Amino acid sequence: MFQAMGVHGPTLSPLTSVLLDVVLLGCAFWLLAKPTKRPIFDSLFMVTLVLSVSFIRVVMQPFPNVQPVTVAALLVGAQLGARRGAAFAVLVAMISNFFMGDGWWTVFQAAGWASIAIAGSRLSLVTSTGLNLGRACMASIIAAFWFDFIVSFSILDGTIGFTEFIVYLGHGLPFDFLHMIGNLTFVLWMGSWFTQLLEEDPSLEEIEFTVVNGHGIDG
Amino acid sequence: MFRRLMALLFASLFVVPVILAQASSTPWDETHSFSWEYDFETGYISTSPLFTGEQLLVRTSGHAEPSVTAFDLSGTKIWGHTNPASTNNDMSPLLHVEAGQGECGSWPEMVLVGWTNGLVEALNPSDGELLWSTQSEVAGWGVTGQFALDEEFVMIPTRKGIGQYCLADGQQQWWTETGLGWRNGVAVDETGYFIGDEAGQLWHINRTGNATSYALQLGKIRHAPLFTDAGILIHAQSDTSSTIGIFNPTDATLTQQIPAGPSPATPVQQDEYIVTGDSSNMRILHCTNACVVLDEIPFHTNGEIGWFDNGQIFAPSNLPDSNWGFFTFDGQDNLTYSPIEVGLHGYGTAAPIQFSDGVATFTAFGNDQGILRVYSDLEESGTVPATNFDWGEQMLIFGMFVLLGSSSALLLSGKREWFLRTSSLFVLVIVVLILPDLSSQWSKVFDEQFPEQASPEEWNEQWPDAWLGTQIVIFEMDGEEHSFGGFVGHTDVLSLTQVACKELDFEFSGESTELGWYVESINGIEGKGWEFSVDGAKGIISVDQSAAYSTSIVRWTPV
Repeated sequence: MFQAMGVHGPTLSPLTSVLLDVVLLGCAFWLLAKPTKRPIFDSLFMVTLVLSVSFIRVVMQPFPNVQPVTVAALLVGAQLGARRGAAFAVLVAMISNFFMGDGWWTVFQAAGWASIAIAGSRLSLVTSTGLNLGRACMASIIAAFWFDFIVSFSILDGTIGFTEFIVYLGHGLPFDFLHMIGNLTFVLWMGSWFTQLLEEDPSLEEIEFTVVNGHGIDG
Repeated sequence: MFRRLMALLFASLFVVPVILAQASSTPWDETHSFSWEYDFETGYISTSPLFTGEQLLVRTSGHAEPSVTAFDLSGTKIWGHTNPASTNNDMSPLLHVEAGQGECGSWPEMVLVGWTNGLVEALNPSDGELLWSTQSEVAGWGVTGQFALDEEFVMIPTRKGIGQYCLADGQQQWWTETGLGWRNGVAVDETGYFIGDEAGQLWHINRTGNATSYALQLGKIRHAPLFTDAGILIHAQSDTSSTIGIFNPTDATLTQQIPAGPSPATPVQQDEYIVTGDSSNMRILHCTNACVVLDEIPFHTNGEIGWFDNGQIFAPSNLPDSNWGFFTFDGQDNLTYSPIEVGLHGYGTAAPIQFSDGVATFTAFGNDQGILRVYSDLEESGTVPATNFDWGEQMLIFGMFVLLGSSSALLLSGKREWFLRTSSLFVLVIVVLILPDLSSQWSKVFDEQFPEQASPEEWNEQWPDAWLGTQIVIFEMDGEEHSFGGFVGHTDVLSLTQVACKELDFEFSGESTELGWYVESINGIEGKGWEFSVDGAKGIISVDQSAAYSTSIVRWTPV
């Protein structure tokens, strides 16, 4: 459903582009604006995560529609929750597109990955024993098609009718298939490791609270 | 048990490269070796080279100075003859004429050359000396079709008609107006001459110049009609397809119509067998009382087809990175195909030529890159250019084997998760590798099944009439439209755009990616990329994969 050759969607003026970026960035910060117990650590962790995944996306650019970000958004949503997952998705879309080409499509990419992160937070992909691989594989397959479908809307600039849009979607099916296989491979190879990486270590206060609480109950 | 079967299935994939390795070596590859090559550097070789007994003559056209160049059998250039006034692209095949005499005089051995500026020249093949020349009419272009000999005369398909010229001095005996023609060769039989035109009319002209037309309404006729026992065979071109028609001149009826693919090649004949080609298939027909398609093979060819006495059939594949197809016919029902590697890749419409010096048989190939390559059937003659060893490719193949072997072993040992990992990576690499072809084929099939409805580009009254019925390219730049037309024979948007840029003197740059050709800038304008439409329909696949039809109007717009 997503094909990079030939169709670009509407062209944005420089002012519109800046406004769009401001809105996206605002969304990301709003989503992140939640009091945490370790603000510096959490912020550093999120920055590192966003930069790493953006870098991987840029590096993997030569492979058409192999999108590590989709799986990352799914798992970040599953492990860190909907708000931080969506913020992660918006920031990765913005930063990676800064190198790969910014435009109208960034909004749709951000929306696609953010919706996947939200879905990831609701699907119980992570259990007490770790990542539920079967469920994560299924979710990553559906996420590939969902993301490509959302991004395809970026070509609608008022000149493309419903039939043309369906034809456009049909043309992109081989790329959707590649996205799906890529997601599956990422989940199988990196899913468990990435989920563990995102697992939040309890803070000293939390450990103390748990211990004291436990003793209190015992007593 | 299931695991073992699956492991066996995986392990059996090891055999695939062995099978492919055997298949890539064709009988032709095994018995021929590289002899020499000549790089014209610019220009196209659009028609088959010609062997005159001692020299190999090659015509080049395109953006470079259109010329005819002669080589000896070792590849040394002997002479060159240029026509700077030619309007391009010169596609009229060279014609070799033996020395002879007739009522209008005697003539030496000569080579006849028709040019797009209407000029017809007779050259001495040994030194390129001009023996005579004559001028025919020009309407957009001049001579583009195949000549035919008729005793002491040569029949020349001019732009608007057909003329009979004396071989001795080039004097016109008569000229008769027919229809506007393009690559419309002449066929000679005992009743006179047959020729087609762009309006789809088949013309019969008797030997005194009286013409009769038959409106076949099958499409454009861009080759010399072929005489068969079933009737006159025409492979006519329409916008998105073609039709092989059999015409009975006795009662002026079309007795057969066989649907075929777009942009037909020039059909060739040996006795009652005919080989045709188009953007979809190569096919062989047997024509006795009626013409029957014996076999069809998917192949993309739009120009000349070479069919030699030894039964070998060659056809250039007219695609961006393509090579030649080698076909053999078993004399019964089967046409077999194998690609051959002659070191020339890219667009091509010229048939190769085979010739012998009495010791070895040579095959000369030329394509749109202006490179002539000659192969010999003697393995010791010449040095085969060293093949580049691609380490990256070898490492990839090695890695694929490791993944395949690991998958089999992990499946057998019951390590399900690791099996899924290795096999998914294996499948991912395979899909990445096949994606360009897969996507191209998918788009082609999809377009055929669901043709797009679009508002076609409208004819601009300011355009010259010579552009009517041809391919036109429009570039939108800084609020202005720059157009050029009169193009014919381009089967994809890339080649059509390239030639239009040359005519308008626009610099055209882009790069070939895994997804196809990506246009970076036109006339120095990059913007955020370029969009194109073909006949009003927005291009949604890459330019080299987007088809251009015979009357397509391509519009380029910067983003």
